[in-house]
Amino acid sequence: MEDSFAFSIQTGSAEPIYRQLVEHVRRRIASGQLRAGDEIPSVRELAQVLAVHPMTISKAYSLLEAEGLLERRRGLAMRVAPQHLRAQPAASRIELLRPVLSRAAAEARQLQLSKRAALKLFEDILDEGPET
Amino acid sequence: MNEHLLAATTPSVDLAGVTLAYGNGPAVLKGLDWQLLPGQVVGLLGRNGAGKTTLLEALLGLRETQAGKAQVFGQPVAALDDATRARIGYVPQQSDLFDSFTADQLLRYFRSFYPRWNQAKVDGLMSRWDINRHQRIAKLSGGQQQRLSIIRALAHDPDLLVLDEPVASLDPAGRRDFLRELVEQVIERGTTVVFSTHILSDLERVAFHMAFMSEGRITLQAPLDELLDEVRLLSGTTSEVQGLVQRLGATALKRKPLAAGREQVLARLPAGTQLPAGADGEAVTLEDLFMELT
Repeated sequence: MEDSFAFSIQTGSAEPIYRQLVEHVRRRIASGQLRAGDEIPSVRELAQVLAVHPMTISKAYSLLEAEGLLERRRGLAMRVAPQHLRAQPAASRIELLRPVLSRAAAEARQLQLSKRAALKLFEDILDEGPET
Repeated sequence: MNEHLLAATTPSVDLAGVTLAYGNGPAVLKGLDWQLLPGQVVGLLGRNGAGKTTLLEALLGLRETQAGKAQVFGQPVAALDDATRARIGYVPQQSDLFDSFTADQLLRYFRSFYPRWNQAKVDGLMSRWDINRHQRIAKLSGGQQQRLSIIRALAHDPDLLVLDEPVASLDPAGRRDFLRELVEQVIERGTTVVFSTHILSDLERVAFHMAFMSEGRITLQAPLDELLDEVRLLSGTTSEVQGLVQRLGATALKRKPLAAGREQVLARLPAGTQLPAGADGEAVTLEDLFMELT
């Protein structure tokens, strides 16, 4: 499988696996790591690699198709839809972070942390992260 | 998947009002209803002692029930014919292999019972899973015995596969390998699978539906995706929470009264419903659901 698709599952999460996959593909396309015309693994192939029920994968692919991110072709691998030629501008990519940061903000408030402490932690995590 | 078509086909497993007690003891299954449709892969969740093994044995016709109907592929389990029996694969919790046989002898013995027997699959798994064919079963490790038991259950390409803690003795790599085999060979063929295990991460991967067992019944069965999308743990004063449940048309799965007139309700919202802004509702994990519903 292409490295550009590198996807791993988080079990034990409140986010169902199909949605983890949808978000993953959305981010990869927004950042330009996946572009117009790139083929994605078949349902069967990805189900086997991840050891996941194929219906979970096909559910994610159908949602991505409905959103116009992927296109289905008869008898061929699905691919990234033609309008996604290049990375989205940072101003719109950052919006993809909003849901997860909103949740983090809610938890920071529950924990009664100061804004500064929470932001410091986020900075530290960005600095130490394996992914750039 | 077309629900309409599914509904028209015979369920692979159909239990209705099944009651079972051991001797004069309390009932373990209490009027239990459960249906598995062809091709469904269902994770069976319940606490230790909830009666999961008893349930699986009852649906295989290995336990006498005191009341109710139990059918597999449309036949009463107490009187399955050989052809129907040959469509079932079973990995029991306790290994029931013959200790004095070698793996080879055991598989040859079972082969004689099944009109359909996939020798290529058996050979492939035996070498992939590194089982010595000529060693007596008693001398195999716990993990190898469990693998052999899985091979025996898969060898005749069953249409119904019943797995009772099939991977308890396997390490994480062995478990992943088993899950891959399930996805590649078993689910791909449209086999109906019941999978009982306490390893929730394995179920999350392969079981599309979850069945929760509590107090002798299946109290909830639904696709895990839908449960994670729709179930929220609501907190607030009793009147707030109850009002919210009513307004949203949600189903209360469990209520927990707290001190000072407050309450926590595990509620399933109708599909696609968002909680109103400001409502205190937390998303849940499969482990949360296990803790609350079993």
